[in-house]
Amino acid sequence: MAFFGSFALLIALALAAWNLLAGALALRWIATGQPAPISPERLADTARRAGIAGFWAVTAAAFALVWSVFTNDFSIAYIMEHSNRALPGAYKFSALWSGQEGSLLLWAWLLGAYGFVLRLTHQRDVKLYAYAGAILAGIQVFFLLVLNFAAPPFALLKGAIPEDGNGLNPLLQYPEMVIHPPMLYLGYVGFSVPFAFALGALMMRYPGEKWIRITRVWTMVTWLFLTIGVFLGMHWAYAVLGWGGYWSWDPVEIASLMPWLTGTAFLHSVMMQEKKGMMKSWNVWLIFITFLLTMLGTTLTRGGLVSSVHAFAESSIGYWFLAFMVLVLAVCLFTYILQYSHLKSERRVESLVSRESAFLFNNLVLIAACFVIMWGALFPVLSEFFVGNKVTFDAAWYNRVAVPIGLFLVMLAGVGPLLPWRATSLKSIRRNFVLPVIALWATVVVCLAVGVRPWHDGAFDQGHFYALVAFALSAGVITAICSEFLRGARVIAKQSGRNYLAAMVLLVRRNTRRYGGYTVHIGVVVAVIGLAGAAFNRSAEQEMALHDKLVIGPYTLEYLGPTEDSNPNFDSEYAQLMVYKAGRYPFLMTPGKRIYLASRQPQTMVAIHSVVAWDLYLVYEGTNPDTGQPIIKAFLNPLVSWIWAGMLLMALGTLIALIPKQWSVVSEQSALPSVAEGFER
Amino acid sequence: MTQTMGLIAGVLLAMALFVYTFWPENVFAQQRQKTRLDYLLERKEQLHENLRDLNFEFKAGKYPEEDFQAQRAQLENETALLLGEIEVLQRV
Repeated sequence: MAFFGSFALLIALALAAWNLLAGALALRWIATGQPAPISPERLADTARRAGIAGFWAVTAAAFALVWSVFTNDFSIAYIMEHSNRALPGAYKFSALWSGQEGSLLLWAWLLGAYGFVLRLTHQRDVKLYAYAGAILAGIQVFFLLVLNFAAPPFALLKGAIPEDGNGLNPLLQYPEMVIHPPMLYLGYVGFSVPFAFALGALMMRYPGEKWIRITRVWTMVTWLFLTIGVFLGMHWAYAVLGWGGYWSWDPVEIASLMPWLTGTAFLHSVMMQEKKGMMKSWNVWLIFITFLLTMLGTTLTRGGLVSSVHAFAESSIGYWFLAFMVLVLAVCLFTYILQYSHLKSERRVESLVSRESAFLFNNLVLIAACFVIMWGALFPVLSEFFVGNKVTFDAAWYNRVAVPIGLFLVMLAGVGPLLPWRATSLKSIRRNFVLPVIALWATVVVCLAVGVRPWHDGAFDQGHFYALVAFALSAGVITAICSEFLRGARVIAKQSGRNYLAAMVLLVRRNTRRYGGYTVHIGVVVAVIGLAGAAFNRSAEQEMALHDKLVIGPYTLEYLGPTEDSNPNFDSEYAQLMVYKAGRYPFLMTPGKRIYLASRQPQTMVAIHSVVAWDLYLVYEGTNPDTGQPIIKAFLNPLVSWIWAGMLLMALGTLIALIPKQWSVVSEQSALPSVAEGFER
Repeated sequence: MTQTMGLIAGVLLAMALFVYTFWPENVFAQQRQKTRLDYLLERKEQLHENLRDLNFEFKAGKYPEEDFQAQRAQLENETALLLGEIEVLQRV
């Protein structure tokens, strides 16, 4: 299979190269009208077909690698390093992306899959799709060059073939790890598509803004995958790493957050271009930067430039990625300068208090957040390069900078939808902001009353202060968005005679994009409430003899003794703890440790009891070598489940926004002609 | 799978993909050049959508009457100019 896989990768490279060269040549001939020895349309079609065929070639290579994992072919170095005979089937599958070479193959396969769908749907706009297809082929050529020459996944092991492999990294042997990396990669790789469309539209001087409508679905799907990927990564860190938190500003986390921030900015600002013909240059650069950030993230982590809990070892591919990024930047810059006149905005922002300016602020804040955390991630590399001394920023530095920026963004999530386009009068502000402001201040009063105070033992407590601001802003934003839903539903209910619930459904169907977007905003706010809960985290650690008790918050934990388990993949030991809430409702929790037999690496198995108000999070820290008694660390983490609920709401909102608007308008037109038409008849 | 079998499978894959890529086909998807009229018609659609949104938001109580009238007048002027140009181009 190793030979077949390597051969398939070479075929894929040849096809991608043909797609790029033939596609570029055909488009050049069509653009200039030069006489050509063969029909440019025929040549362009072979390029498109090469892209489709290339997807099958990469699929064959990926299949060969998965087959080799399942058949325990330890003659392949990658399989030997990332799998073993006793590894369960699902984790054998995830071995595909557990190492550098495999994850690059997954990247190439996903890029091929996106390109496959794009090329099959090319009739929507033949020329634009041909440009986008050729650009995607250019990216694919790069990845296949790396896979064929710098990080070959089918490289054979030198010397004797071992009986068994080293096994998968224990940290990756967790159910979420089977879906988290593909989700993240779907997001990362997916941004190649809007990038290709934007660059293609600029190269061909695409008339009008229709390309944005064409790429909207691609951008939103990509953003959805990246969002789910980031949150699943947080959940994995929370449930597996055993330190009681979910976000530590690790370089890999930062690498996934940077394109998410600029991608979010793009999703907002592109609406300005579509609706008002504004911010054309800005949007083009936003998507260029987003794509480059996906590459930078890969360079930082996969290239071994920074160390991280889940970054791969140092390798030479970082230089390949740097060279590619420089090339991409040069192409983007050259095209931008050449076609600058095509990007002239049709109008400017008329007032500082308008929805346009809210979008602009939102974009500036998102970009500022992105560059601040990028500075934090790059500083160790830069300081080592220039001064020879690696200086890193701790989580407190990131929190100091990112939390105020995040809170400002939350505020904009509520203010933006309330502001009218173009300009806002004082009367309009009064009309729209009264309820949210009341909700905000009411929350401040309630929070202070229940003990959420920005001071602690007479001293200012920054964490509690930010939590108070977050809760208050969240209340204001949720009120603002709910009032948008209710006002719209009231109009429809009045005109159609439907009840409020049916009117609400119709409202969402008539403008899925807007109300889907509002649902995403509610999701963000719910997640922020969950994040703010971290200010009130508590923990306790205790060595426990039989029937000893540990008290944390309303819970009392009683140690009932150890237990053990064993299977061909790992040995485990657990501490059995009976947990009582307020002395009643007992339930059993079993934090433990595993020792993986192939790698002899230990792994903490956290026990989590999650309710709406908090998570009880237990870690078995091992035994005291002197007494042989277990050491238990207990965390009480308020509102953590809100973070995951926020993610679900964000996903739901994006799915709503993806429902085609035509369908909703048609539905509404039949029921509400006067509202649907917009004009007074 | 031995190396020979791998080679045979690889050659078969290459041949199949080569035939698919270069299969002589006479019908290609083609597209006429987008004109200024096409662009203006797209823009008209967008302006109508903006007007629909404005009207709906006014009905929902988001705009005071005077703000609504001012914004609507602006959008309608823009639409009128656009419709004028469309009419001229359609006559040509």
